[in-house]
Amino acid sequence: MAAPPRHSAMLSVSNTAGTPQSGSSDKSQTPQQPSTPQPTQGLRVPSNRKTIYDRHLNRSRNAELSRASFAYLFAEMVTYAQRRVTGIQDLEKRLNEQGYPLGLRLLDLLFYRTTTTSSSALSSSSTSSSPPNRPLRILTLLHLIHGPLWRLLFGRSADALEHSVSPDTPNEYMITDNDPLVNTYISVPREMNQLNCAAFVAGIIEGVCDGCGFEAKVSAHNQPTEMWPSRTVFLLGFGESVMEREKVLERAGIK
Amino acid sequence: MSYYFTILSPTDTPIFNIAFGTSKGGGDGIARFRFPDTAQYMNQFIIHSSLDIVEEAQWTNGGMYLKHIDTYPPAAAYISAFLTPSGARFLLLHQPPQLPNSGSSGGLGSSSLLGSSGNLVARGSTSSIAANPTSPQTEEAVRQFMTEVYESYVKTAMSPFYKQGMEIRSPVFRTRVTAAGKKWL
Amino acid sequence: MSSSKASRIGEEIWKTRIDKVNAELVTLTYGTIVAQLCQDYDSDYQEVNKQLDKMGYNIGMRLIEDFLAKSGVGRCANFRETADMIAKVGFKIFLNVAPTVTNWTSDNNQFSLIFDDNPLADFVELPDDGRAQDELWFSNILCGVLRGALEMVQMQIEAHFVSDVLRGDDTTEMRVSLVRYIEDEMPPEEE
Repeated sequence: MAAPPRHSAMLSVSNTAGTPQSGSSDKSQTPQQPSTPQPTQGLRVPSNRKTIYDRHLNRSRNAELSRASFAYLFAEMVTYAQRRVTGIQDLEKRLNEQGYPLGLRLLDLLFYRTTTTSSSALSSSSTSSSPPNRPLRILTLLHLIHGPLWRLLFGRSADALEHSVSPDTPNEYMITDNDPLVNTYISVPREMNQLNCAAFVAGIIEGVCDGCGFEAKVSAHNQPTEMWPSRTVFLLGFGESVMEREKVLERAGIK
Repeated sequence: MSYYFTILSPTDTPIFNIAFGTSKGGGDGIARFRFPDTAQYMNQFIIHSSLDIVEEAQWTNGGMYLKHIDTYPPAAAYISAFLTPSGARFLLLHQPPQLPNSGSSGGLGSSSLLGSSGNLVARGSTSSIAANPTSPQTEEAVRQFMTEVYESYVKTAMSPFYKQGMEIRSPVFRTRVTAAGKKWL
Repeated sequence: MSSSKASRIGEEIWKTRIDKVNAELVTLTYGTIVAQLCQDYDSDYQEVNKQLDKMGYNIGMRLIEDFLAKSGVGRCANFRETADMIAKVGFKIFLNVAPTVTNWTSDNNQFSLIFDDNPLADFVELPDDGRAQDELWFSNILCGVLRGALEMVQMQIEAHFVSDVLRGDDTTEMRVSLVRYIEDEMPPEEE
């Protein structure tokens, strides 16, 4: 196989001077970057030139894998996380953090897919499908999680969606899964029977909320019933700024 | 028409920038900003000054494509915005080759569909997209451009090693954006 | 047992006896595991490979029982048959792929698995840090799985990737070598 060039310090236009996290933005930059392409460096690609950009995002849309494989991987993830933490709370926090970026990814994937299903091709310029709307209100967001997100992940909707009845916590909502996949196949060690591995899913939900601009804390709680021994309630607590905005949007009549 | 396209992270950090010119109507795809020496700086400045409007529109319009949202008359710069559901902002600055001869900033829908409306002095051969930043054709072209970039962006963001807010350095991504610009703008 | 028969068995089990989940859930979960390891080990990719192999080994030791129960297959007559069983039945029912078995050594103790498809690596682009493409074996967990599973059926093997499309190679290839059969009571018939 052809020996691809080694990449030296690769840099494209890079107006951000390698500090993507810093908040500053209007720093002085090198004058006028012409629109000419930068020298192609970066990652090596196979000789067929296939990269992630050549793979259709819907390719694995209906693909399936063994549920056991998921369980094995997930159990290893939990076991590994367990080695690096001191208690159950810590562990749940860590699982939550691992789920969070998945939430952001799934959000984009979901919207991409809804954009592209109504009219099949992006390139067909004549038919302008109406893309889905970003959620502006809490309820819209919750429906997105309860329905499309759950279906993408678990092949079915969640089982219940409720608003806290307590006047002290109007910012709290609950999404219930009677039989969460992440708990079905995972046997938690006895000394950790408080652990709910659905903390991972709670992290995913938190990522979705945050991504959409609804700052929230999401936690998973065991609430077994006789019929559903691993029933889990995801508790979503929205931040104050979200609740404030919600009021403003309500008054403005925005749905 | 000259374009400056930038992707801002949810915390307003630019994670991708590119300048290009129109390929429509015989355009050569090269950006010719009015202030070439300071174009990068000016463009970022103009784009950032429109962020307040973007943030306002973000919560009144649930669409991903928000169309033309702001105009910066001193530079005859028009800003169009597209918001990803996960909080990234795609902003496109377009600058026609010459200043409009009237003070009007080309109000939405007021321009002729043919794009040869009186408030623009079009130089050379023009198409509506190249000459008129607010015509329906331009809106549609920009929407197509944004949607195509969004597809590539999602592919970037799906990689487990990509973290939100990271600069997008992939030359393939850049090529894709360039191609989308050529195709639609 | 012939390779094509193994393929038929694999297909049949996959269709009728396997509980399924959305493939992307598995893919994305695996991706977060690898990304997390890279973060925890500060991009020490050798160490990440090692950890992935270890995780795979744990999985393999548990997975073999499941495999035997689902497949109902008996002991393989020789290592070539084992290879087909791994590729056409094992990978099929756990990962819904059937890698090609090829590049045997003349002593029939070493072969390659070529993956046309690898669901673990969907959506993945390795970090562009000038090292990951030379050092990280993204799917290294699979090597550990094979090692763990086969050890439970008295085969000590060694497995490692020799190429990966994520690194810019044209194929994704894993090399598997039989080290020894663990108990003397069951040396297989070599032909």
